[in-house]
Amino acid sequence: MTTSVISAAASTRTTASAQGSIELRQVRKTYGDVVAVDELDLVVEPGEFVTLLGPSGSGKTTTMMMVAGFEEHTSGSVLIDGKPVDSLPPRDRNLGVVFQNYALFPHMSARENVEFALRMRKVPKAERRQRADSALERVGLGKMGDRKPRQLSGGQQQRVALARSLVFNPAALLLDEPMAALDKRLREHMQEEIKTLQKSLGISVLFVTHDQDEAMAMSDRIVVMKDGRIVQSGPPEEVYNHPLTDWVASFLGDTNLIPCTVLERKDGEALVDLGGLGLGRVRDRGVTGEKYAVSIRPENLKFSSEASTDNCGKASLVSSTNLGATVRHRLTAGGHELQVRELSSDATGRPAPAAELFVTWEPDKAQLLVLEQ
Amino acid sequence: MQTTNPRQRLLTLLSIPVFLFLVVPTAIVVPVALNDSRYITFPPEGISFAAVAGFFADKAWTSALTASLQSAAIAVVIGVILGATAAIGLHGRKFPGQQAVVGLILAPMIVPTVVLALAFYQFFISLGVLGSILPIGLAHAVIATPYVYLTTRASLAGLNPALVNSAQSLGAGWLSVFRHVYLPVILPGLVSGALFAFSVSIDETVMSLFMQSPSATTLPVKMFTDIQFNLTPKIAVSSALLVTVATLGLLFQVMFVLKRRSTARMLPLAVSAPN
Repeated sequence: MTTSVISAAASTRTTASAQGSIELRQVRKTYGDVVAVDELDLVVEPGEFVTLLGPSGSGKTTTMMMVAGFEEHTSGSVLIDGKPVDSLPPRDRNLGVVFQNYALFPHMSARENVEFALRMRKVPKAERRQRADSALERVGLGKMGDRKPRQLSGGQQQRVALARSLVFNPAALLLDEPMAALDKRLREHMQEEIKTLQKSLGISVLFVTHDQDEAMAMSDRIVVMKDGRIVQSGPPEEVYNHPLTDWVASFLGDTNLIPCTVLERKDGEALVDLGGLGLGRVRDRGVTGEKYAVSIRPENLKFSSEASTDNCGKASLVSSTNLGATVRHRLTAGGHELQVRELSSDATGRPAPAAELFVTWEPDKAQLLVLEQ
Repeated sequence: MQTTNPRQRLLTLLSIPVFLFLVVPTAIVVPVALNDSRYITFPPEGISFAAVAGFFADKAWTSALTASLQSAAIAVVIGVILGATAAIGLHGRKFPGQQAVVGLILAPMIVPTVVLALAFYQFFISLGVLGSILPIGLAHAVIATPYVYLTTRASLAGLNPALVNSAQSLGAGWLSVFRHVYLPVILPGLVSGALFAFSVSIDETVMSLFMQSPSATTLPVKMFTDIQFNLTPKIAVSSALLVTVATLGLLFQVMFVLKRRSTARMLPLAVSAPN
């Protein structure tokens, strides 16, 4: 039953899947002297899942509020389906919005909440009830229609909010930290569910979060924001493995940052001097700045028993900590403090503390980036 | 209730005279109104409804009652509209001079009534509209508005601002936002404010006295002018009437408004309850 609803809904969506794009052109937002968002160019293609990722105060929520129409941008232009919506009030933008605390109407039942958008669109009563029920069924709440929000758990409220924002076939879906109030296990479950729902409906999503794991797990593309600007944008693996600045590298998980001087750059590879770690070959995406560093994720740094000329450093182990699934080794090498992370199952026969050993990495797994801080 | 604690017992003993001091002077009008006498006397000489019947048979008194109810109706309608719109309009907003605006709305509560009475008297006489109940009702609306504003503002404190955005994103215009987001939240505040507005107007004497005319005499004014000439028990009947109305209003508030508000207060807890 549920699957047939999904496929039916998916087929109605695919006819309209040429639509649903969101575009921001040179959008700027200031509050008095404070610039909240600046020079923002962003495109969400039809059916794409794009995440705005950044710490609080990075302008990600402001950006979403400008797309939804709750905040007016100071300059620039917002387009939905290729049409400018700058002068349209939120109610005419045809976007489904899920808020951080769901913002369900407390005095209405789950079904009445879902029906609300249809009621505002003057859909006849029988049809809107049927559509609301099938939307609730789509999110697995077919039997909960008569419950009031306060009688539902956090996860169930979240599903009602989703059903409510999807029932009127919006051009796109905006999700503002929708999982922030859920506990970890439920959050991971909802991440998968939202992703599955989004794929089956083929709907474009603009997602706002400060949680990099959530961004990695759900997005087709991550847009990293800092101080009101986009600092990097790309598929999750690319942003994670090939950060352009040290800030992006550290914001998306742990990394080893080794300051370096660039000796030679060609064909997407650079030869760098890593000081105490000698010479190394790393990936180069052509970034330019005053100072450079190399970022190597702890899981991409490997132990080696023998020395080689490039991409290799002599190190001494400081400590090893078993974290369950992985083991974290801290070591010093050439005056740098480094971290190596390996799977517990691979960590057999690990060297004793203070033992002399070598670390090595593949050029493709080390990224040349601009050192900002 | 068993009070085992000696301190609690002492407190109870002390509370009883205070309670009596507060309530007895008010409640005493009821036996006086039912007194079987041609004058206001205490203790009553016998129980009779003659004075009550006499009150409702006397056209001068019933028209005073009607005038009071009319002015209260005007005060409630206008006070609720002004107070509620002011509270909603100012909700969740910050702008320079906001405190001054709030102060202006609340001013009628602080300015001495006699000053307001003189001001209204001069204002309405220059417009040439004195002589009907309308100016009295309007003046009452001015002093009733701050009460409605305060009760509505208090109930708005529990409103999740995202609800407004959420309704808008779902296609609601301002009227639908008011009906489906604001109204359910402020309803207890509105009812409570309306009751306040009603009792403020019913009770108001000074302004009504300044603006009175033979065709616009409210109940308190009629009581005040009559008591100077004869001590008719009809005065006690009107007092008893006012006390009854006020008590009923209070009971209604306790039963309806406070009950709703306590459930509303528990809502945010339920929303943030863990899975």
